[in-house]
Amino acid sequence: MEQWGDQPKDDIRELLNVLSRKLGAGDGARFIPAIAGVVLLVFTLFSSIYTVEPSEEAVILRFGKFVGTQPPGLHFKLPFGVDRAVKVKTKVILQQEFGFRTQGRATGGRSDYTTQGLTAESLTLTGDLNVANVEWIVQYQIADAKKYLFNTREVTTNLRDISQSVLRRVVGDRVVTDVLTVGRAEIAEEAHRLTQEVLDRYDIGIRIVTVKLQDVNPPEKVRPAFNDVNAAKQEQEQAINHAEREYNRVIPEARGKAEKSISDAQGYATAVVNRSEGDASAFRAVLEAYRISPSVTRTRLYLETMEELYGRFKELTIVDTGVKGLLPIFQNPSQPAAPAAPEAAR
Amino acid sequence: MTRRSAIFAALLAAAAFLVMASAYTVGEWEQAVITQFGRPVAQVNKAGLHFKLPFVQRVRRLDKRMLNWDGDPNQIPTKDKKYIQVDTTARWRISDPLLFIQTVQTEDGARLRLDGILDSVTRDTISNNNLVEAVRNSNAILTKMKDRLKAQEKGELEPGREEEEVVGEIDPIFVGREALSGIIIERARAGLKEFGIEIVDVQLRRIAYEESVEAKVYERMISERQRIAQKIRSVGKGEQAKIEGKIAKDLQQIESEAYRSVQRIKGAADAKAIRTYAAAMGADPEFYTFVRTLEAYRKSLGADTRLILSTDSKFLELLRKR
Repeated sequence: MEQWGDQPKDDIRELLNVLSRKLGAGDGARFIPAIAGVVLLVFTLFSSIYTVEPSEEAVILRFGKFVGTQPPGLHFKLPFGVDRAVKVKTKVILQQEFGFRTQGRATGGRSDYTTQGLTAESLTLTGDLNVANVEWIVQYQIADAKKYLFNTREVTTNLRDISQSVLRRVVGDRVVTDVLTVGRAEIAEEAHRLTQEVLDRYDIGIRIVTVKLQDVNPPEKVRPAFNDVNAAKQEQEQAINHAEREYNRVIPEARGKAEKSISDAQGYATAVVNRSEGDASAFRAVLEAYRISPSVTRTRLYLETMEELYGRFKELTIVDTGVKGLLPIFQNPSQPAAPAAPEAAR
Repeated sequence: MTRRSAIFAALLAAAAFLVMASAYTVGEWEQAVITQFGRPVAQVNKAGLHFKLPFVQRVRRLDKRMLNWDGDPNQIPTKDKKYIQVDTTARWRISDPLLFIQTVQTEDGARLRLDGILDSVTRDTISNNNLVEAVRNSNAILTKMKDRLKAQEKGELEPGREEEEVVGEIDPIFVGREALSGIIIERARAGLKEFGIEIVDVQLRRIAYEESVEAKVYERMISERQRIAQKIRSVGKGEQAKIEGKIAKDLQQIESEAYRSVQRIKGAADAKAIRTYAAAMGADPEFYTFVRTLEAYRKSLGADTRLILSTDSKFLELLRKR
């Protein structure tokens, strides 16, 4: 054991000897304060130099009292804890999530979200005493590092409490259908304004960058009913469209047909009038000619007509007034009756 | 080392110790009360380096910043007997450190008082009002509904778009959410002043239905939606029927109007023809009858005709004479 212990002692002695020889000083007593001085210097330097990152701002406290802020860069302060530099990330935009939490990023670059156990945060009463599931985010920035540090202890808690309270107030003044559909942008805008108002009243140096609504849904149990309303809207539109299609199918056709029948009638009218005028003028012409020698013309017309008629007939029977009992001939019309008759007619 | 330098070193150390014991700093976020043997003698509000009597005086630091109070969610029945959970938060600060140290001593002590007072004040305020007063802040919904109703009466809304409007009756409010917070603050402020505590703000963070009530609320929501869906569907069917009716009406109108025109045109033409014929034939009706009769014979008697002709006929006159 002793052998083990002696070994390092010799080493240290040897190292010190080498050091003192190199520094050119014979005794070690003069050399100790020099080391202490160097250490002190280094320590002083380290405790008075600090850097401020580009996204930050440093608040300088002297014995706990605020003396000023410093922009990004290399700065000096009083050493040994007289001055303290508290760095505040004033340029960074921070985010708070309500009703859901982001759970890191998956490999594809997409974020994973969870709403597990957070329904109490997102369930919100609407003005018509219905319930909606509202998820939203608030992005904010530290606008005043001094106020941020010294005016309140729990900035995030304040922000979260206020944002929830304000959003519920805004949603509370709207009916559920507005909240779920057209009211989204308006709600976010109003929540932004009111939250900032309250924060300004607290004067805690926070500036709201944006308030955005994420998923806004009816609660799980009533979702089918809400979907049914949407389906009903579709059906309504469909019914109306269907009827309008039917209208468009029937009415223009009927209009066309009506016009056609009128045109037909007009055609008929023209024809009737023209024909009558034609007939009339023909008659007048014939009459004029007839009047020159009525009797002859009359007989001629009669004979010509009869000639044409009788010549056309299938069967012509001539019966002399003196002949009686002819009736049997007509009992069977299919039998050729009185074959001599046509000849006689000729 | 000499004896003198040893004494000097000891004195120096003693002096340093004395300074350490009497100097103290107060941060920008702090306020301090100096007590002498437990008796408060001074109150320090300014940040920076301060001195006190060593050993006999003690510094008790308190936060100067705005602090948070988070209440347990309370189950409170409202005036209209609805069971809800109310979750309140408050912001407060130590406004009178001396009084604070005397009465509640620590922040934990303060929180106990806050719990007691804020819980009871919240409970009183909520249960003295209807549920809507805690949910809504204004009567904006009612105004909006009225506007829409007016627009609907004027017929400015598209047909079939009015379906989702009035859903159950919406009661007007008389107090409102913010005013309720105001009442709570007012009452709590009075009670907490004697503890050196100032209430900055009370916010109703969350108002939710009690779990047992929730199921019923959901049932109501479902039936409400079903009613709305029904209405939308029936409005759709109604619109459809209206259009179908319009089809029938327009069809009848178009067809009857066409018929009327057709008849009028045809009748006028016929009348004109009749007049024309009459004017022409009137010149010699007897001749017209003769000519027209012959023409009619020619046209109506076809080739199939069987004719029995008596020799009395004028046509056979010559035949008979023979």
